[in-house]
Amino acid sequence: MKKNQDCCGFEENKYISNKKFAVENPARMCQPMGALQAIMGLKNAMPLIHGSQGCATYMRFQLIRHFREPIEVSSSALNEKTVIYGGENNLLNALKNVSEKQNPDIVCVMSSCLTETIGDDIEGIISKFEDANIGMKLPKMVSVSTPSFSGSHIEGYDKAVLELVKDLCKLNIPNDKINLIMGNLSPGDVNEVKKLINDLNISSIILTDTSLNLDAPLDEDTLELHKYGTSLNEIEDTPNSKGTISLSKHADSAGKYLEKNFDVKCFSENLPVGIKNTDRFVKNVCELMNIEIPKKVERDRGRLCDILVDSHAYNYRKKVAIFGDPDMVIGIANIVSEMGMIPEVLCIGMESERFINDVGSIKELSNEIDYNPIILENSDLFDLENVLDNHDVDILFGNAYGASIADKNNIPLYRIGFPIFDRVGAQRISCLGYTGGIKFVDEVTNMIIDYYYDFEGYKLDEEEEIVFSDIATEEKHIEEKF
Amino acid sequence: MEKQDCVEPIIDTFEERQSHMCIKGGGLSLPECDKPGIPGTVTQRTCVFGGARIVLMPITDSIHLVHGPIGCASCTWDIRGSKSSDSKLYKKGCSTDLKEKDIVFGGERKLYDSIIELHKLHNPGAIFVYATCVSGVIGDDINSVCKEAQNITGCRVIPVQSEGFQDHNKTKGHWIGCDALIDNVIGTSEPDQDSITPFDINIIGEFNVAGDLWGIKPLLEYLGLNIVSTVTGDSKIEDIAKSHRAKLNIVQCQKSSNYLAKKMKKKYGIPSIKVNFFGIESTITSITEIAEFFDDEEMKNRANNLIENGLKHLDNKLEEYRERLNGKTVALYVGGNKAWSLVRAFEELGMEVIMSGTKNGIKEDYENIKNIVKEGTLIVDDANSNELRKLLKKLKPDLLISGAKEKYIALKLGVGFCDFNHDRISAFAGFKGFLEFAKEVDGAVSTSVWNVVSTSIYDE
Repeated sequence: MKKNQDCCGFEENKYISNKKFAVENPARMCQPMGALQAIMGLKNAMPLIHGSQGCATYMRFQLIRHFREPIEVSSSALNEKTVIYGGENNLLNALKNVSEKQNPDIVCVMSSCLTETIGDDIEGIISKFEDANIGMKLPKMVSVSTPSFSGSHIEGYDKAVLELVKDLCKLNIPNDKINLIMGNLSPGDVNEVKKLINDLNISSIILTDTSLNLDAPLDEDTLELHKYGTSLNEIEDTPNSKGTISLSKHADSAGKYLEKNFDVKCFSENLPVGIKNTDRFVKNVCELMNIEIPKKVERDRGRLCDILVDSHAYNYRKKVAIFGDPDMVIGIANIVSEMGMIPEVLCIGMESERFINDVGSIKELSNEIDYNPIILENSDLFDLENVLDNHDVDILFGNAYGASIADKNNIPLYRIGFPIFDRVGAQRISCLGYTGGIKFVDEVTNMIIDYYYDFEGYKLDEEEEIVFSDIATEEKHIEEKF
Repeated sequence: MEKQDCVEPIIDTFEERQSHMCIKGGGLSLPECDKPGIPGTVTQRTCVFGGARIVLMPITDSIHLVHGPIGCASCTWDIRGSKSSDSKLYKKGCSTDLKEKDIVFGGERKLYDSIIELHKLHNPGAIFVYATCVSGVIGDDINSVCKEAQNITGCRVIPVQSEGFQDHNKTKGHWIGCDALIDNVIGTSEPDQDSITPFDINIIGEFNVAGDLWGIKPLLEYLGLNIVSTVTGDSKIEDIAKSHRAKLNIVQCQKSSNYLAKKMKKKYGIPSIKVNFFGIESTITSITEIAEFFDDEEMKNRANNLIENGLKHLDNKLEEYRERLNGKTVALYVGGNKAWSLVRAFEELGMEVIMSGTKNGIKEDYENIKNIVKEGTLIVDDANSNELRKLLKKLKPDLLISGAKEKYIALKLGVGFCDFNHDRISAFAGFKGFLEFAKEVDGAVSTSVWNVVSTSIYDE
């Protein structure tokens, strides 16, 4: 472990792994997986992975067991011959079949590491297909370059939203809306943001809106192309909005693009988790739309403050480890700090300068004099496990793959992130906004009460009793001596 | 595969797909099969890499290292549902995490370093190295890297040539997995002389999903058999290395592992019997055939005892389930073996199989299906998710048996679902397992949930 002097003015405790080459228990996924999650929030769209069958199948498998919904991802089904001669024919065929049989508004073609390596020119193939079908009513075709040998699912998400906006947006008359880029959020969190925006009485274009598609009713209509989510028209309309707020600092490329090319102001701030971050989000929205904050929103804020106070006795100085996507890790670190806990270990699967800078903001929230979290950047769960072998924490936040680490350390795992396949309700997990925060604080606090207190709510802590009794005996000894 | 077998299209789909579905009846034969998937459809199939990985993944004391970009490992890590009674090493998701630089300059060095590192960290029984699409295309010679690493570490380092794009059929992946064992593991250690008995067997093609093996093992041990190794559920690499001295291979999943049994017969002269411990009749037949193979009076007596006791134990308890399940219909859409091995088991519950299909079947598989299903049963090959939906709507079965990808298609249509795949939570093998199986099937079909969810707010 090495200590660096950091730009944020505090000792940064960067963990240096004792493993250099292999990844063991990854804390990230590949680019096409992230792009897929963005496409799941589109209306009447079909994702198509240009690669071997396994890519589509295994990504579907992970998505299906997390969301517990049917998920459709088509594949160009490459095989050995196409690898030698190129995948053009398969992709042309796939575009034809998808267009004819499924009749979507949008087809999103994602490359895979295989087609990136053999050098298939997806854009060229799409043009060829469109040229061959002039006069026919074709879906809009968007290609996203998502080689899985670079970046992670986060870049994949970012690129997909950027390509959608870039390819489809049309400057027209102003629309009095704001664009909201969600990042890899649960449908539950997207819902929380939509509720908040609704409470602020403004209209928005959400990039992309998974809230209804991935938390669907028991209805066979859900087996067709997604009926809800962001429509083609809405994406076209994005340059006419008053501004863009990217909830994810790592997925703001589309916002930056609109700002640069269409003068649509873009805010890219921390995920609105907890009081401070949600305040900033609300203020940014209100500034863009030039409106006052409604009473209802203030009241919800007050309710979140109320539960922070109600629960602080249980949460005070509880130590926390968090792993997952950088935006979410920083978000959770913020809200648990507001709860009075100490985010001791922060682990992300990628490199991110923005993430490192944001750790500084947690320091400001915390009352700890010597707050010096252990930061695991570009790490895997092997690294996290190693750190937790030597550092006691009281609660772990992360996806289902953290279960064995939590079990080993005999601490509870609060499941958040992707994938969560060992519990139901992953699509409804939320912590965003004031009301999502309320739910989160309730659940986390109750988890702590469950683990660390008896059924009447008294603290279970034998060790401390022993310490006190030791001091008592010692004092007695001293008294006897003198 | 005559065209006239499918005069009437069964459902609306691509024209070339119609011949992949047929109804058993009269002189009717088999669906067309083992063809590449149609680009642009939502396939239920996986890749060759996936096929190899699921065969080898249950080897518990080994590191399974995926030589490729991160996605191949992070999407397929610990998904088999195989249980272990000891080491948990196999549950790790390991990857060489190939990056752009490695694609340009080659990933061999990184692979070598990764193997050495993982060996140092975990001292595993073996390290399996899986080739993926990209490592195949850039031409990394994983064979020689593995060899070199094995020389340095002294640990078994086993290359698995499983480039995903090799074939449309993951069965090829199963074979590649089996090849890795026959070429590099089986026969590389000798058993202790004291441990050799006349009744040494291997269990092949049993992956201990949800603990199935533990339902089979006690039955075999009661017969007096000595289980040398299981390939590969709850197994250790050293046991598999010694498996060539067994007197008999019993093959549970014939789809993935007959290939291995045949190779072991050729190389070591070990005969094999196909067994099936799902269902009462199948379990009885399997026990009887094993006892007959060894032709040992003591064992035959024990087999009779076992069967008698097993049946006594079952009959009363099954009555209740049978009452509720009688006449209900089942559709099977599975990876392979189960498409025929489960048919009798359902009939024993009083249920009727009206559709059976596989994602990766070859002609031999469909022969097996055709031989066991009744006239009028729909046999289907490689249905994509659209077709599956249409078939379920048309047939309206009470239950679908399949895996996670198909689960929510069934549930959204109001069709009961029972997972017989990786995500299964109960063991179904043997007599005791059959009760569990009946219980879960009953739970899927008879639950009160269906009564309420089929109503509408406008109903009276």
